[in-house]
Amino acid sequence: MKGPGTAVRLSWMLFVCVASTAGAQTLPSEPISIAGGRVTVGGDVTGTWGPDDPGFFNDTDYGHSALRMLRIDVSAAVKMGPHFTFLGEVRSENTTVRPYALYLRIRPWTAREFDIQVGRVPPTFGAFARRTYASDNPLIGYPLGYQYMTTMRADALAQSVDELLQKRSQGWGFLYSVGNRAFLGGVALVSAFRWDTGVQVHGTAGMLSATAAVTAGTVSNPLFHDDNSGRQVAGRVELRPVAGLVAGTSLAWGPFLSGDAARAATVPLPARVAPGNLADGEEKAFTQTAWGADLEYSRDHYIIRFETIVSAWRLPAVRQPALPSSLDSLATYIEGRYKLRPRLYVAARVENLAFSDVTGTRTTLGWDAPVSRVEVGGGYSIQRNLLLKLAYQYNKRGAGKEIPEAHLPAVQLLFWF
Amino acid sequence: MKDASTLFVLCSLATLAASAASSSVVPVPLVSSVARPAVSAGAQANGAIRGRVEIRRVVTPMERRPGVAELGTPPGRGVPDLRRSVVYLESAPRGAFEPSDAGRAVMDQRNETFVPHVLAITTGTIVDFPNSDKFYHNVFSLSKTKPFDLGRYATGNSRPVRFDRPGIVRVFCDIHSHMSAFILVFSHPFFALTDAEGRYSIDNVPPGTYGVVAWNEGTSSDPKTVTVPDRGLVELDFTLR
Repeated sequence: MKGPGTAVRLSWMLFVCVASTAGAQTLPSEPISIAGGRVTVGGDVTGTWGPDDPGFFNDTDYGHSALRMLRIDVSAAVKMGPHFTFLGEVRSENTTVRPYALYLRIRPWTAREFDIQVGRVPPTFGAFARRTYASDNPLIGYPLGYQYMTTMRADALAQSVDELLQKRSQGWGFLYSVGNRAFLGGVALVSAFRWDTGVQVHGTAGMLSATAAVTAGTVSNPLFHDDNSGRQVAGRVELRPVAGLVAGTSLAWGPFLSGDAARAATVPLPARVAPGNLADGEEKAFTQTAWGADLEYSRDHYIIRFETIVSAWRLPAVRQPALPSSLDSLATYIEGRYKLRPRLYVAARVENLAFSDVTGTRTTLGWDAPVSRVEVGGGYSIQRNLLLKLAYQYNKRGAGKEIPEAHLPAVQLLFWF
Repeated sequence: MKDASTLFVLCSLATLAASAASSSVVPVPLVSSVARPAVSAGAQANGAIRGRVEIRRVVTPMERRPGVAELGTPPGRGVPDLRRSVVYLESAPRGAFEPSDAGRAVMDQRNETFVPHVLAITTGTIVDFPNSDKFYHNVFSLSKTKPFDLGRYATGNSRPVRFDRPGIVRVFCDIHSHMSAFILVFSHPFFALTDAEGRYSIDNVPPGTYGVVAWNEGTSSDPKTVTVPDRGLVELDFTLR
């Protein structure tokens, strides 16, 4: 069973119903401001309902579908003078409540657009990861590169290409023979569901802004506590040459494989091709390197966004046929939104996720099954901060044991303040 | 299990919709377009209603959302002048609704603030919305009086909207959620915007008995009845709590 128990669900249902009814006359229409504006609290409540997704196309980090979720975000900013702001966000997805963000923002010089952020900080990499809120996402689904669970894991790995190929399309949950033997899901190229922990600096000068961060995890596996004694370095440069046009490029590199998995993969055995016991810190060699480019243009009543992400993982070779020196993947999407009327917009996203070839004993194939998705939909503003979205997704997977395609309608109601 | 899950989400959606819809604080239109036949605006000389509106409640500007996902401190913004109130005749003399040359008004977008924060106009007025910031704004309103969406446009550009129906129009920016403003559209000319000290003057009011209302940030007073004598001046103060 992937979701919470029935009793827990029903309790939550009762809680939400009671809380909503009780608060019917008092729900805020704007952020709550207290202490003379020094403390601001905002929130998003998003209910999404769709049919079963037997192909697991929309499963997320936390083992449930993005199309069947009640998500509640509460965020707060506490201003402590002109130089310091403390920011945090707590998020509940169905029943799980997690601290999503918690960091201190320092502005050393108030006249300069330069900030240092320390703690569980916003993603440096890419464009979508910072606008996963339903109010920023014109559709209901998430881009594949940020959501689709591949057969890559940080805590376990395939001992050979043959084992890797056996798991194609099963990223929602599977076992590998090396490392953690638990049945768990894989990672997306870039996680949209967790933030990393570390130090981030951001500055803007004219039309150019730049961000750099050193964090505990990697873009696909953000962490609170490091598990491999290596830090990720990430950077992003954004250019805004004219109003409405944003061009960005991002780069991230960091040790990906957990120390335990790396050690399990390199224990010397006669049949293994790995060099032997790991020296201290040698697990840092098993990395994820990601590069991304994104473009946004908006004008009048339309927005067009394009983003591409290339990710390369380096894993230890354990047995023959050995994993290649790099397992690559490429995710690309283009999306658009057009406002037809003040309350009504339409939107669409077309995307693809592909994987580099690996050669096993009998065949050469992409190391995971390629996936493509088309999502069309729209939104209707019942009021300014209450939005109803409808969407339809067509998902297609090029190979693997799971079902090859899925037609998925979904409805989402979003309230924010 | 599946049924419980479905019921859970559907129930949440339904209660969320009901709660949020009922929490709407968009004020009911305050402007009456129906004249009370109190007097005839004939040969008599007109008077005036003057006074002061005192705001005793705490009025704070709409705050920026916490912006946890932003990579740095957001740019500073202007502070809207929330002390400005509008005082208007709840009913107007006969002849007040005769067509007149409607003018133009301007609501600027400057430092992520609408300037002025409150605009009082007559029906038929065209309001220009220039963008004086270096980045996009997207002015829109979902009000029943005048729904519109001007889209995104850059600095130096302006787009007009003509307001043909009386009522209250709440204006927002689709990009900057903390930007908001009010446009009060009247079908008669008997209204006034208060100054920085809360003083107002409705001039050229035909003699007669009227209900007068003061409005500030979506809150309005109960109507106060006054009789404006021939060539007379009536003092009328309001307190909004």
